[in-house]
Amino acid sequence: MLDHATELETSAIHPQKRKLVQLEHFFYDNNIVKLFTYATLFWGIVGMLAGLLASIQIFYPAANFDFAPTTFGRVRPVHTNAVIFAFVGNGIFMGVYYSLQRLCKARMYSDKLSKIHFWGWQGIIVVAAITLLAGFTTGKEYAELEWPVDIAITVIWVLFGINMFGTILKRRERHLYVAIWFYIATWVTVAMLHIVNSYEIPFSYFKSYSGYAGVQDALVQWWYGHNAVAFFLTTPYLGLMYYFLPKAANRPVYSYRLSIIHFWALIFIYIWAGPHHLLYTALPDWAQSLGVVFSIMLIAPSWGGMLNGLFTLRGAWDKVREEPILKFLVVAVTCYGMATFEGPMLSLKNVNAVAHYTDWIVAHVHVGALGWNGFLTFGVIYWIIPKIFKKELYSKKLANTHFWIGTIGIVLYAVPLYWAGFAQSMMWKTFTAEGQLKYQFLETVTNIVPMYMGRSIGGTLYLAGAIIMIYNIYKTVRGASIVANEAAQAAPLSPVVETHGKQHWHRWIEKRPMQMLVLSLVAVAIGGVLEMVPTFLIKNNVPTITSVKPYTPLELHGRDIYVRDGCYTCHSQMIRPFRDEVARYGEYSKAGEFIYDHPFQWGSKRTGPDLARIGGKYPDSWHYNHMYDPRIMSPGSIMPAYPFMIENMVDTSLTGAKIRAMQTLGVPYPDGYDKQANADLVEQGKVIQANLKKDKLDAAATSEIVAMIAYLQRMGTDIKAEHKQQTAAALQTVTGDNK
Amino acid sequence: MKFPVDKKTVSILAMMCILLVAGAPAAFAADAPTTNGLNNSAAIMMITIAVALLLAIGMLAYVLIGAAGYHVEQLKKNAQTAAKPLVIVALCMFTSTAFAQPGETAATAEVTSTTIAGLSKSSFYLLTGLIGLEVIIVLAMLIFLRQLLAKEKPQIVVEFAEARIPFYITWWNKLNAIRPVHEEATITLEHEYDGIRELDNKLPPWWVYGFYLCIIFSVVYLYRFHVSHSAPSTIQEYEIAMVQAEQEKQEYLKTAANNVDENTVELLSDASALSEGKKIFASTCAACHGSEGQGTVGPNLTDDYWLHKGGVKDIFKTIKYGVPEKGMKSWKDDFSPVQIAAIASYIKSIRGTKPSNPKEPQGDLYQEEALPAAEAATAMPEKKLAKQ
Repeated sequence: MLDHATELETSAIHPQKRKLVQLEHFFYDNNIVKLFTYATLFWGIVGMLAGLLASIQIFYPAANFDFAPTTFGRVRPVHTNAVIFAFVGNGIFMGVYYSLQRLCKARMYSDKLSKIHFWGWQGIIVVAAITLLAGFTTGKEYAELEWPVDIAITVIWVLFGINMFGTILKRRERHLYVAIWFYIATWVTVAMLHIVNSYEIPFSYFKSYSGYAGVQDALVQWWYGHNAVAFFLTTPYLGLMYYFLPKAANRPVYSYRLSIIHFWALIFIYIWAGPHHLLYTALPDWAQSLGVVFSIMLIAPSWGGMLNGLFTLRGAWDKVREEPILKFLVVAVTCYGMATFEGPMLSLKNVNAVAHYTDWIVAHVHVGALGWNGFLTFGVIYWIIPKIFKKELYSKKLANTHFWIGTIGIVLYAVPLYWAGFAQSMMWKTFTAEGQLKYQFLETVTNIVPMYMGRSIGGTLYLAGAIIMIYNIYKTVRGASIVANEAAQAAPLSPVVETHGKQHWHRWIEKRPMQMLVLSLVAVAIGGVLEMVPTFLIKNNVPTITSVKPYTPLELHGRDIYVRDGCYTCHSQMIRPFRDEVARYGEYSKAGEFIYDHPFQWGSKRTGPDLARIGGKYPDSWHYNHMYDPRIMSPGSIMPAYPFMIENMVDTSLTGAKIRAMQTLGVPYPDGYDKQANADLVEQGKVIQANLKKDKLDAAATSEIVAMIAYLQRMGTDIKAEHKQQTAAALQTVTGDNK
Repeated sequence: MKFPVDKKTVSILAMMCILLVAGAPAAFAADAPTTNGLNNSAAIMMITIAVALLLAIGMLAYVLIGAAGYHVEQLKKNAQTAAKPLVIVALCMFTSTAFAQPGETAATAEVTSTTIAGLSKSSFYLLTGLIGLEVIIVLAMLIFLRQLLAKEKPQIVVEFAEARIPFYITWWNKLNAIRPVHEEATITLEHEYDGIRELDNKLPPWWVYGFYLCIIFSVVYLYRFHVSHSAPSTIQEYEIAMVQAEQEKQEYLKTAANNVDENTVELLSDASALSEGKKIFASTCAACHGSEGQGTVGPNLTDDYWLHKGGVKDIFKTIKYGVPEKGMKSWKDDFSPVQIAAIASYIKSIRGTKPSNPKEPQGDLYQEEALPAAEAATAMPEKKLAKQ
């Protein structure tokens, strides 16, 4: 019937050629869509289970099992990577492979590439999960995967691009539909972000150091991190929305010009907003301000997408009441609207001062992730499966049940965390009238533990909904056979481009995919270049502090353990210039303190206290006991225990390679220091060993716990040396002994 | 098909621009004086209100002109005299020129008053006047709109007698510039992708003006933070907060009986102070000194041997300033002087309790009487790092 319509329309458009037009017959590849759909479902469950485990670990530390691979710091990256790149990633490919073929009126360019893409991506996910649990991580959020995986991702992404553009180039539809604009922008921007942010120097088969340090690393990382949200979780899904929502509602898209304006405005403005993740940090003020204003300007372009989605449903709201697919899509688009309004509000400095580092941000993210990405994916799957199997969904009732359980799950997830975030932040900032901090950090944590439990209940409900869906899909496809090759027909593109009357100016680029690609790249490159180049080149953006010295080899090993076990997932290393933070943690952090930090470890969440100036605060033995079992030293603490650090030795065979990698990155170790480093390492280890001995604690000089203590005791202390120097210099000046 | 800029929009935008120039005189005409209108938060607020009202006027004008046009058409169709609606349209036009004019004069007036620094009286009255004027315009437009809609209503009812459209729906459609579903055929674009068609609806006006507003906000924001420096930088904000906190603290301490330090502290013996001390000890100190003060990581506090002397003043000082190099942190930011006195007194009270599993004695034997008061003040406490 569809083909019939195509034929009619073709003849309507080319009346004079009615007899000449020969319809071409071809087949859509549904098999690849099926594979990606199953992968989406599978990784969705895996990712949500990892999330549920991580959420339980937060209020029930025994769930860390005192076993390195199952500690929160490693499970959390598995959760985030699984839901973003495995669940949503496969969801993108599922939707793109389904819609692109139909929008281009062409089969995918190469079945072989499709297969390689599919299996390559699944292989990457498996390797990613294993390496993350094994502790191979770059320590940069949402970009944790190490360099071999980064290379594999690049290769597969390029193959996907070739397959996509091959399809676009052999299309039988002159103009590209708005969904395809979003796919193109997604592809080119993700490639750019991934390549720039993954610049790293390997020092072993599975480990590397970030090519950037401190402030610059932070800027690049959050340019990446923010736009991973923008171009992996948002633009491809907007593309899916533009195909599946009008399809499911059987309504025309509300406004073509709104599509144009919101598309270009969105991709151009989004890329600038990264620094809003770094407000009040040591990032230069001008970059922070750019992050603020571009976030505010992002409201309208984001809402353009929401409006175009919701207004498309005009005249179809009666269907929304009946059809679970539309319910999912409506809630998804609404959550998108809420999250993209809340985001800019959180970018205002005064709001950010309250919300940053708290669970408010976690709640905000999950409204987007569970609502927008999750629900849109579910809607699309409920749409695709009956289509490619040519069979009705097994049970609409179950789909409705899924919808309601999922929606309640989102509410129960988000509300406790909003509460927790706000309450904790207020407690952090409360002073007594005498000018003392009113609450110890730990009190602010134990106070919100009930909310953490509530959050897990919400998450469990959401997961239960997804499981219901899998049952429903299973019952649908059981006994049915897929229409692996779906017949279709369309007229070939005529070499002559015909125009009828006055065309919208944007039609010009819609028939030129390559120009579209280049222009998208230009639009997304501008913001990044203008923010990063000055931060890298203008020296006073990172004022030097002479007393800040490179880490000793033992400290470097300790730092790598800190990164390996994902301490950054709960501890920040960035004291913001606020009265309460200075009182609680010490002097606020300066840009110059981080110049040897490859990678930076500022963190984005304070489930535990900030560690930027932990050095010298507690004795070595305190750290030893605390790492062995945090609850000995801090009753009520929710931190995982790390007893294995006491038994494990650091791998001193890597010390030389680490030093050389750091030298390549410009860290000023003396020439040939890589040979001498291990001797220094042992020497420093022995001092700590002796210190521990005094308190009747035993540890080998090269044990991980000793390296960890060395790093912790170093943190944030360099600046104190500078203060002493300054005092000495001032004294010299006073006594006239100035040389 | 054309880009969504028709004459109507252009004229409204032009009107708004004129007003904007007039509306921000304090901000932009005052380059000469050192203090700028933008330094003044009252001015910022008033300008923001003025701009917001301006946007509201723009939106209303858009709706109003559209409604008036529609009304004229209807009347023409009915072959009646167009005098009445024309009056209304004229009134709309009049209001737009009316509010444009004071704006222009204001701009010229401001040039002569640039010598007055800060938010001068004239700027203030100007801004107030502007806001007042805008409010009047908004009210007037609302009244016109209501009249027009009242006239329009029966028309709609006649056309769709079977489905009476409630007022809020038409209002909603106006606000979003939505064409009714039954008119869809006229705005459906010719292209089609896999059965998906696109409509050529206009951009929702509130969305467009919201976008403009965000851009204006951004420009003003960057101007304030990085050109005029009238908004505090991150570090200035911090310094302001610290000064203010210090003042508040001093104010409080003046009136409170809380002003004890290591020189004036006395051993407390009342039960409430000791139980307060015990509570803090259990939650905080016990981590290192053991739940009964027997010592674990930190030294035993129940014996007679002390690393930093054992008088109440000494203990107070050790708690207050800490001994960072030995792992005792400074607690003065965590607890008030009275609380520290309570902790010190509690520690004194557990002397000789002989808990099980005590840590071996550390430091020197301490005898209570041996403490001359002056000695307490000899060792200078390590000062906190100066702000950089």
